Amino acid sequence: MSTAAADPVLSPTTGEPVAVVARRNRLGIWLCIVSDAAGTVSLLIAYAYLWSLNVNGGWAPKKGAWAPDWLFWAIVLGMVVACALLWWGVKSVFAGHREGLVVAATLSSLLLLAMFILQIWQLATFPFDISESSYTSATFWLALSNAFHLSLGSLLVLAVVNRTRAGKIGVDNPFQSRLVAMWITWLCAAALLGAIFTTAMKDSPNTDPPAFQSFTQPHTS
Amino acid sequence: MSSATEVMRPEEVPQPKQYGKPGGFLRHTNIITGTVSGIVLAAIAYLVAGALRPPPSDENALALPVGLDPQFAAMYIGWTIGLLLGIGAFDGPLRWFLGHDLTHEDAEYMAGAGQGKWRYFKYTTDHKVVGKQYLVMSLVLLGVGGTLAMMIRTELGITWMEVFNPNVYNSIIGTHGMVMVIAMIIVVSGPIGNFIVPIMIGARDMAFPRLNALSFWLLFAAVPPLVSSLFLGGIRDGWSVYQPLNSQAPVGMLGYQTTIIVFAFSTGIASVNLITTIVTMRARGMTWSRVPIFVYGIIGSSVMGLIWFPMFQYSQILSWSDRVLQSNFFNPAQGGSVWLYENLFWLLGHPEVYVIVIPGTAALMELTTVFVRKPLFSYKLAIAGIFGVVGISGIVWAHHMYMTGFAPSANYPFMLSTELISIPFGFLVLVLLGTIWRGKVWTRLPMMAVYAVVWNKVVGGITGVWLSDVPVDQYMHGSMFVVAHFHFMLMGAALFSAIAAIAYWFPKMTGRYLNERIGSIGFWVAFAGFQLCFGSMFFAGLQGMPRRVLQFDNAFNLSNWLSTIGAYTIGIGTVIFLYAIITSWRGGQTAPMNPWAAQTLEWTVPNPVPLENFKVLPVVTTDPYNYGVPDPYASQVADVGDETSQKVSVS
Repeated sequence: MSTAAADPVLSPTTGEPVAVVARRNRLGIWLCIVSDAAGTVSLLIAYAYLWSLNVNGGWAPKKGAWAPDWLFWAIVLGMVVACALLWWGVKSVFAGHREGLVVAATLSSLLLLAMFILQIWQLATFPFDISESSYTSATFWLALSNAFHLSLGSLLVLAVVNRTRAGKIGVDNPFQSRLVAMWITWLCAAALLGAIFTTAMKDSPNTDPPAFQSFTQPHTS
Repeated sequence: MSSATEVMRPEEVPQPKQYGKPGGFLRHTNIITGTVSGIVLAAIAYLVAGALRPPPSDENALALPVGLDPQFAAMYIGWTIGLLLGIGAFDGPLRWFLGHDLTHEDAEYMAGAGQGKWRYFKYTTDHKVVGKQYLVMSLVLLGVGGTLAMMIRTELGITWMEVFNPNVYNSIIGTHGMVMVIAMIIVVSGPIGNFIVPIMIGARDMAFPRLNALSFWLLFAAVPPLVSSLFLGGIRDGWSVYQPLNSQAPVGMLGYQTTIIVFAFSTGIASVNLITTIVTMRARGMTWSRVPIFVYGIIGSSVMGLIWFPMFQYSQILSWSDRVLQSNFFNPAQGGSVWLYENLFWLLGHPEVYVIVIPGTAALMELTTVFVRKPLFSYKLAIAGIFGVVGISGIVWAHHMYMTGFAPSANYPFMLSTELISIPFGFLVLVLLGTIWRGKVWTRLPMMAVYAVVWNKVVGGITGVWLSDVPVDQYMHGSMFVVAHFHFMLMGAALFSAIAAIAYWFPKMTGRYLNERIGSIGFWVAFAGFQLCFGSMFFAGLQGMPRRVLQFDNAFNLSNWLSTIGAYTIGIGTVIFLYAIITSWRGGQTAPMNPWAAQTLEWTVPNPVPLENFKVLPVVTTDPYNYGVPDPYASQVADVGDETSQKVSVS
């Protein structure tokens, strides 16, 4: 992608071309993604670790009700569509069509908002309590993390709509829309990882975990 | 080493619409509004959470949150959000959302222009103000942590009676540990990283000035919950607060958890800002081979903080969840695992040592070149050492868990990786020694600290290698030997490096010399006390004295008496050094622009450093350590500060 502007627009606060500021911001967003990814990886480690250990046989939900997979995937699908829409808008504005970004970002923000509501609904209707087992705790937190991501993401895309309509993001200064799209892309990846984990890792491979109550020292003669 | 280049001044650029007076909402916010807002919101959150809490009944007692945890959790969340609201931290995001972009006048107001000393108590974005805020905060935290250390040593030194009851004593230990860890993480990267690094690389400010202010005020928000925990049952289980003790502790534990969660945000934001600034805002001509070594140290520390701090943060978020939401991450009876906590904790817990030590070591390398008038010995080896440590730091964490029963078969690989990290770390010591070797040493206070730190690092490093060995660790684990070892690294290496760094850059940060005579007395008294305190502790550990105990066998009396005398000596030295800092800052001898005749860019701007640092951005033409080498571009060197700037030519 390239800018359509001939004369560079300058930042009112630093006097630099906005393209220079945008390169700086892009690195900042990459680093924020790295940091947020480390947090997401922590949750995934927690999920996988507890799944693999099945301590005290306490991984599976007590009532045997796992979270339905389709809802995780429906949310991921909605996020991916929202992300694709936003990227289409970004491409439009870089190609010189500001209105394309307004339409695409509006649709994207509405879709993200809908996914946020769906995520909250999922949290509220899980067929288990958070305290039921380690699976329920880990799954609850993956969903909660995604809800936080979605709330932040929908606000950011809404801001893109607002700023584009106000002329702050435009053909000669389109960069912020791309930064937000980068962030939303990462949120999709995080949601996808969550969906893969919760779908693929249900029954623990450790079928004969030691129970602390019955643990005894092996006999030595 | 530099000439100059022209860029467009911001005031010459078309400006967006000015909404109200420059600064807008931030004209009305400061530390008072922030604190009041934080307290009010904390109180409201506490009361609302209490009102919403369903009454326990026989039917649902097991499913409900227990005790006062939800209320105190709400209180700490209320405090943090309230403080940020009241200080004006949400003003920037809101303006961005609404499309009310900053004008240059807004940005200048936010940077503190024309606000005098009051700017230090506001959401000020100027990196120099933030640097000084960090300096004062780290000194306050060191004071608090040091006082707690004195209380610990008082208890252990008075062997014939109990000064504190066991719970209070344990709380003092845990709080001392956490306060000091925070203080040591910020003591170089905070003040020097913020104040000096942007100037050192030829930038006008940090890449994200508002995030810079946010990182400080998040730190400010993180401290009161930690202190409050002392009055809410305390942190009785050491600074690592292993599970399940974490979940079983009194509600004060929520203060500890809040502090780590908020501090991790602060550190992450600061890391993003520092890395972005260094990578994208270096002066023209400052190629990666001309970047001062201190800047590499800051990058290395920031990279580690960025990647590993979230793991640490999640160890506490999930612990918070176990307490407040009754989840089961760490409760083995319901499928949780305490090893999960230990893994997440030590994934940062060990790299944190390098987050602390690397910037200080890099600062020593920086100033050693100045005081021995020689180029840095093997600049590339120093960079390899820094990034070697950064790389290996991620695969050493489980050496803290040899004795926990976690993956015994992994003990030896982790032993190997831990011993391996001593190689790049050794590079850094060798670079220091190589730089000093056959140099004409100008022995000033910062240089004295270099000698002290090299000694402390050797002692701390070698004992660290011993402890990384599984057989030795099986014997020494949980003993005072371990305490002595990590104090030699975290205090002996890092804190004394920080003293050197502060003494070296003090003239640039304050415009005045640090009182060399009083400062040196304080420094050497503290150093002597340090050797006595922690040297004796090695012997207590070798004799078999466990750590974190209140009562012990008479066989350990002598080493404990000596340790306590040493601790009080450190205290006296520190007070003398603090006296030197305060009196020098207030009325010390005025320092010229470049008192050490150094060659890095921060010494080419006048004192006090003007807002936006450079009138004209510099262009770098040589490397920063050309001592003894004539500058081929010397005749082209232009003013890079204001009219009072002078060309720096050193050989």
